[in-house]
Amino acid sequence: MNLINLLFGIGVGVSLGASAYAADPIKIGIPVGLSGANSVVAPSVVQASELAVEEINSKGGVLGRSLQLEIADDGSGAQGAQRAYDSLVFQKEVDGIVAMETTAARNAGLPIVNRGRVPLIYTSFYEGRSCSPWMYINAWVPEQQVAPIVDQFMSEYDAKKFFLIGSDYAFGRGMLNFTREYVESKGGTVVGESYLPIDGSDWTAIISQLRSANPDALITSTSGGAPNVTLTRQLRAAGVTIPYGNYAVDEGTAKSMGEDAEGIYIAASYISSIDTPENKKFLEAVEKKFGDDAKTPNELSVPQYEAIYAYAAAVEKAGSTNPVDVIDALGEVTVDGPRGAITMDKQHHAALTMYLGRVTGDGSVEVVRSFENVDPGEQCPQFAN
Amino acid sequence: MGSVTFDVLTTAAILFVVSTGLMVILGVMKLLNFAHGAFLTTGGYVAYMAGLAGVSPWLSIPLASILGFLFGLVVERIVIRPLYQRPLDAILATWGLGIVISQVFALTFGRGVQFAPSPLSGTVDFLGVEYSAYRLAIAAIAILLAFALIGLLSLTRFGLNARAVIVNEDLARGLGIDSTKVRSLTFGLGAGLACAAGALITPLLSVDPNMGLPWLVNSFMLVLVSGVSFPSLLFASLVLGGTQVLVSTYVSPILGGMTIVVLAALILRLNPKGFSRA
Repeated sequence: MNLINLLFGIGVGVSLGASAYAADPIKIGIPVGLSGANSVVAPSVVQASELAVEEINSKGGVLGRSLQLEIADDGSGAQGAQRAYDSLVFQKEVDGIVAMETTAARNAGLPIVNRGRVPLIYTSFYEGRSCSPWMYINAWVPEQQVAPIVDQFMSEYDAKKFFLIGSDYAFGRGMLNFTREYVESKGGTVVGESYLPIDGSDWTAIISQLRSANPDALITSTSGGAPNVTLTRQLRAAGVTIPYGNYAVDEGTAKSMGEDAEGIYIAASYISSIDTPENKKFLEAVEKKFGDDAKTPNELSVPQYEAIYAYAAAVEKAGSTNPVDVIDALGEVTVDGPRGAITMDKQHHAALTMYLGRVTGDGSVEVVRSFENVDPGEQCPQFAN
Repeated sequence: MGSVTFDVLTTAAILFVVSTGLMVILGVMKLLNFAHGAFLTTGGYVAYMAGLAGVSPWLSIPLASILGFLFGLVVERIVIRPLYQRPLDAILATWGLGIVISQVFALTFGRGVQFAPSPLSGTVDFLGVEYSAYRLAIAAIAILLAFALIGLLSLTRFGLNARAVIVNEDLARGLGIDSTKVRSLTFGLGAGLACAAGALITPLLSVDPNMGLPWLVNSFMLVLVSGVSFPSLLFASLVLGGTQVLVSTYVSPILGGMTIVVLAALILRLNPKGFSRA
């Protein structure tokens, strides 16, 4: 009996091994912050990745091979990212990486990607000007995010004097520096710019500064989560009612903040109420696959979903997973996803349609205006074509 | 100028309210309660759940203090009491307890931020300055709390026993004071105060599993500087909190964030006893 089992086992093993060899899956590495600062949004990003892979595989995969995810926790920071990238690139030997991460994690991962020569698509909005021949980016940079809000405040509310509040880290300062330059180039003035440490939540003194500066409009760029919502609550408690643009609020946060969030302006490349067939199809697919566990798709999970399609399309176009060919193809393929048709052909970045949204009383976001194909500007001139 | 004065007073009030629980436990039990931050978080979640259940936000504060008191009694019996003879281990145990509590909240409610309703919203015109109504209410509550706690310590039997234990526990036990009971009630009181403070500050903040942590550090500094005395804690809150607001307003909010820690270290360097006269 034992002998028969053993022989049977060997037979199955051999046949499985053979078939696996025939159609080796294409491995896509997903370094993502399952723990740490990004842990709130990470589940939605993982779901988006799983959905994209399942959809592509159900249509026969890419070049007759199926896609397979390798998910690694980057701890939302540099140290964790180093481990995650090392294991993805050198142990799992992934063919490509699609990463929604913090700037610290991306900066830690880039040298490893360059060394291992693996195509990387970065899917989180960020402060701009991060360039590597091995990296493409399909999310927004300050050039695309700042203009809609500032323009709206200047035209709609005749705002001249702006006050800026941020958390003290690269993204917060980068966004507000760009905002200051943009406001000044449009003839406005910045009457105050204040920062709290990244985990700070007592905005008392800054709100006093704001009140004594008496600006026409307020723009904030804090870290997500607690610092952002405590600022909003304390502003409301202090009776601040001037036009308020917030770079860090997303739909989910707005919903849970309730009436405190009402009237906040946000600019985003994805808002779940976008009225296109592609978006509806996507929302239904998320609902169908995950049911009650579905995380609300958002500005970070949707680019991730599209980036997996972009990688698949690039492999298809290149005819193999050869990294050099895939990198060339990534700048040419167009993905028609929930955010519209997007091509990463602007110096490894993408022109995006940006939506100016306003939070309504029940916490949902209404689209006030849309700005077609906003150019990312000069991000990486060395890749200009 | 007017609003800066109010910022100073209300910030001091918040710091005072947040620190009392830590001080009560330190004073009577000679135990640095590192779970203090987690107790504040517990208060925040009580306010959040009370809001979900439709309970008036004002009621969530006494509710949090009662639940915190009962929770404190249980924790004292199970975790702290077996370690009375090992004070360092007891401190370590409270640290572990803090981690466990915040992980339980993370598992139950997720890591995301939640919101508790605010009992008062908007501003009121007070002494010619338009100022946040809820912050003024916190200041009023802090003053009442200070009187109530001073009253509890100087006018009640429990207060007398507690003061006896503070001064000399062995002697107090020799006089027939049940110091175990005093310790148990004190820990409950400290936990209750911390939970109530958490519920009180939540409407200005948001609730997340680590919301108490930054407050733990500041309370710790305040209590080190003030020693075990409510008037002196009030004074320390005013000095340290006031300096923090002034530095944040006139110099830089980033420096303001570390004012309390730096100033506390400075004060203790110049005068190791801090503000206490004992």
